[in-house]
Amino acid sequence: MTYDVCIIGGGPAGLAAALAVKEEGGTPLIIEREGELGGILKQCIHDGFGLVRFKEKLSGPEYAERFIEKVEEQGIETLTFAFVTKIEKTSQGFTLKVVTKDGIKTVEAKKLILATGCRERTAKQVSIHGTRPWGVLTAGACQNFVNIQGVMPTKRCVILGSGDIGLIMARRITLEGGKVLGVFEAKPTPSGLTRNISQCLDDFGIPLYLSKTVTKVFGDGRLTAVEVSDVDERMNPIKGTEKIIECDGLILSVGLIPENELGEKLGIEISKTAKGAKCDENFETTVDGVFTAGNATHVNDLVDYVSESGEIAGRAAMKERVERVLIDVEADENTLYVVPETVNKTAGKCVMYFRSKGDFENKVAVITVDGKEIFSKKYSRLRPPEMERIIVDFKKVDLSEKSEIKFCLKEAER
Amino acid sequence: MNIKTLNKKLEKRFGGAVIASEDEYSVILSGKVDSWEDMLSACYMAVDKKSDKHVVNDIVVSGITPSKTRLPKERDKTLDGEQFDVAIIGGGISGASILRELTKWNVKAVLLEKESDLALHASGRNDGEVHPGVDLNKGSVKQSYVVKANRMYDKVCKELDVPFKRVGQYAGFTQGWLLPIVWLFTLQRRFLCGVDDTRIVLKKTIKEREPKLNREFAFAIYNPMAGCVSPYNLTIAYGENAVENGAKVCLDTAVLSMEVKNGEIKSVETTRGRIFPKVVINAAGCFAEDVAKMAEDRFYSIHPRRGTISILDKKSGGIIKSIASIKKLGGHSHSKGGGMLHTVHDNVLVGPDAVETSEKEYFGTTRESIQTVFDKQKNTAPSLSERDIITYFTGVRAATFEEDYVICRGKRTKNLIHVAGIQSPGLTTAPAVALDVEKMTVELLKELKCDVERNESFNPIRKGIPNLAEMSEEEREEYIKKNPDYGIIVCRCEEVSKGEILDAIRRPIKVTTIDGVKKRVRPGMGRCQGGFCAPIVAKIIAENENIPLEKVRKSGEDSEIAFGETKGGALYDV
Repeated sequence: MTYDVCIIGGGPAGLAAALAVKEEGGTPLIIEREGELGGILKQCIHDGFGLVRFKEKLSGPEYAERFIEKVEEQGIETLTFAFVTKIEKTSQGFTLKVVTKDGIKTVEAKKLILATGCRERTAKQVSIHGTRPWGVLTAGACQNFVNIQGVMPTKRCVILGSGDIGLIMARRITLEGGKVLGVFEAKPTPSGLTRNISQCLDDFGIPLYLSKTVTKVFGDGRLTAVEVSDVDERMNPIKGTEKIIECDGLILSVGLIPENELGEKLGIEISKTAKGAKCDENFETTVDGVFTAGNATHVNDLVDYVSESGEIAGRAAMKERVERVLIDVEADENTLYVVPETVNKTAGKCVMYFRSKGDFENKVAVITVDGKEIFSKKYSRLRPPEMERIIVDFKKVDLSEKSEIKFCLKEAER
Repeated sequence: MNIKTLNKKLEKRFGGAVIASEDEYSVILSGKVDSWEDMLSACYMAVDKKSDKHVVNDIVVSGITPSKTRLPKERDKTLDGEQFDVAIIGGGISGASILRELTKWNVKAVLLEKESDLALHASGRNDGEVHPGVDLNKGSVKQSYVVKANRMYDKVCKELDVPFKRVGQYAGFTQGWLLPIVWLFTLQRRFLCGVDDTRIVLKKTIKEREPKLNREFAFAIYNPMAGCVSPYNLTIAYGENAVENGAKVCLDTAVLSMEVKNGEIKSVETTRGRIFPKVVINAAGCFAEDVAKMAEDRFYSIHPRRGTISILDKKSGGIIKSIASIKKLGGHSHSKGGGMLHTVHDNVLVGPDAVETSEKEYFGTTRESIQTVFDKQKNTAPSLSERDIITYFTGVRAATFEEDYVICRGKRTKNLIHVAGIQSPGLTTAPAVALDVEKMTVELLKELKCDVERNESFNPIRKGIPNLAEMSEEEREEYIKKNPDYGIIVCRCEEVSKGEILDAIRRPIKVTTIDGVKKRVRPGMGRCQGGFCAPIVAKIIAENENIPLEKVRKSGEDSEIAFGETKGGALYDV
């Protein structure tokens, strides 16, 4: 049988997408490489999930469970411990080869949603040198060891990167009796949500050091110390500022990279700004019939928006294929990225997400089409770690192939 | 050069701080200098290509005390009192290949390796190139082996089930005027040195075959017989085949001292007790000199030289299909300057550099050495970018001052065979060297009045761990049907199943560490560098070995992955 939509990834994006497909009367299939659905939420036992969507403070597993229960109720088919090794475009849609414990399955689907999440940036990718002892872990891997496997991989650690996962792990390790000697951030401003800085660091007396990075690790079998340096404006270590800190763990929270290996093999374009799958307002990628959702599109900071993007993709995937006329959305130099980066000529009311490039005060987000303003919203404060969501109605103008759509973060008039 | 002349030279340079003496086998330098570089200069000065003598370094360098040899902390008596025909010290490519060849005979052989796995030193820290031998001139021991050994690789790798590819090698020259000289050079190599695959290719051909190489290359020396292999997998394969044929491999076992009487090794004290081998083979890499000293047969010295290699994401694998480097007139004589290589796993390796060091087993990397290599290699392929690096590693070469192998019987100690100073092309020459050392060992055993007979049940064939991602769909399906664990993918980046991971920890040489699994079946070698799979691999090891998760090790001792359970313990089964 041919599924209407095959969703690769059973995390929050994939789950929401599957439910949306079912609601539109379609037959979805979720392919999940782990043994259980829920994606990374399974190991995020802290709360704060669902504030926007459910107006509740849920833990990761609880948030995931809300969707998993519905998926089960709806009788949506899922394949777990299932790994997609090959996808081919066919006249009907797509043929997937999936490795499972019951053998290699061939799956036919009309449309695809790549809800494949992200992976973590590694120590080597941030030029950490020295020896190769155990004890240098990405925050996600550390989180898995602590929350799922129930072991403490470190007792005294340094955290590099003030991204949310690092901040969460700082609190987690402290709650389990470990000592976090400090969170070191190469940028001059913290990378995580403000609420995490206060709830994970300030509340626990964990120091945050800005404009510093870890350059070297020491130790044979197990980490014994790290070398910390000040950095300049280009985040390059400044010679002569090195300090040695003795510790047995270096937890890295130095960025997430949207995982689009499968998509790239299908030929999807990766956004140079958002670093994930480039898409339109329906979350359809540059390859017709292939949609993206969740962190595979861009690194979200609220799972509520991940679910939203899954729903938008799921609903859109159930629509008939049409010849798309896509118009680029140009972001200005104050904007890190806007998702979607393109909109259809036929676009109506769209959800859009954006991040500012710096810490700004009193800015107004303005969208113009051929010079005409169709959207404007004031922000007293904008920070790169806090992603913003807006709703833009493109029906306010007549979009044409040649329309110039610009997104700007301007100075607000006082 | 006679010793008087040498001393005059040394006097001139070091003002009496260094003096040379000699004995039957060596020129010995002693004294005190202020820097490692000065010591190296002095020792190089004493090298005489026309003489058989090796340089022994007894110079003290003020301010530098090389670290003590790292020894296993665990001690027991599991080997105490055991007698062996042959004891091989060192589990690198040399030791492992010799061990395997020796199992063609009914000899009781043991290999002693101080680390927790084979190939953890130089043999596991190089680019895996199987050299064509074009860069070696006649006259050295290493050159005498290289072509012969290169031609053995297809057979050896087939027998041992180790992937091997003859990808070819380009040494590119931008200085077009060098063509006539280099052409003569290639003739010398082809006809006098036996490197009969050497040829010159011109700009157009290079561009067709390797479009991403420097377009300024006017011509290149091309050797189609150059190849690449995974050096640690080959070492492990040799070791496993040896064990399957009856040999013994002892990991985490170091040699502490030897009892030598009347020019003969009577016993060897190890961290697992005292053993009584008839013949000892010194294949101890950077520690070969230390072992020679223990055996009272020190007539050469090792000066370690480290090199760092970067590994690029498979997505950049298209930058080069083969092996390439840029050559310029003038340059280091002792290092090839590194290059770029496409591995059997489709990664690209960039490097190595060559830096003299006093540390035999410090494998740390530095930003500077990666930068140096990349600055140079951007001349080989301009689109090379540091952004494509997924990881890097360092190896330490065991170099004698003569920069050549020492493969011979002991000079003063009669039941000893040295296989020392094995630096590049040590991986390439290993199969041929192993055959020679096999011969030498059998002869020596016969001289020592030991009955040596052929092992009629010797089986050269070793079956490796199945690689499901490379199989056809049908074959893969069959494996999964027989064992569902082969259908559960654990490492997403390299597509490695639970079944393969379990295979990796159930091999003839039992290694149950995260790094051991990584070397054998690749989880942790992909772009996420183990971020996703390390916790799962650890769990699989813990379950299979029936040990608590926190006791699982990354590699050696002291690398246990956790300090104990959290307050709640494991939440649920993953």
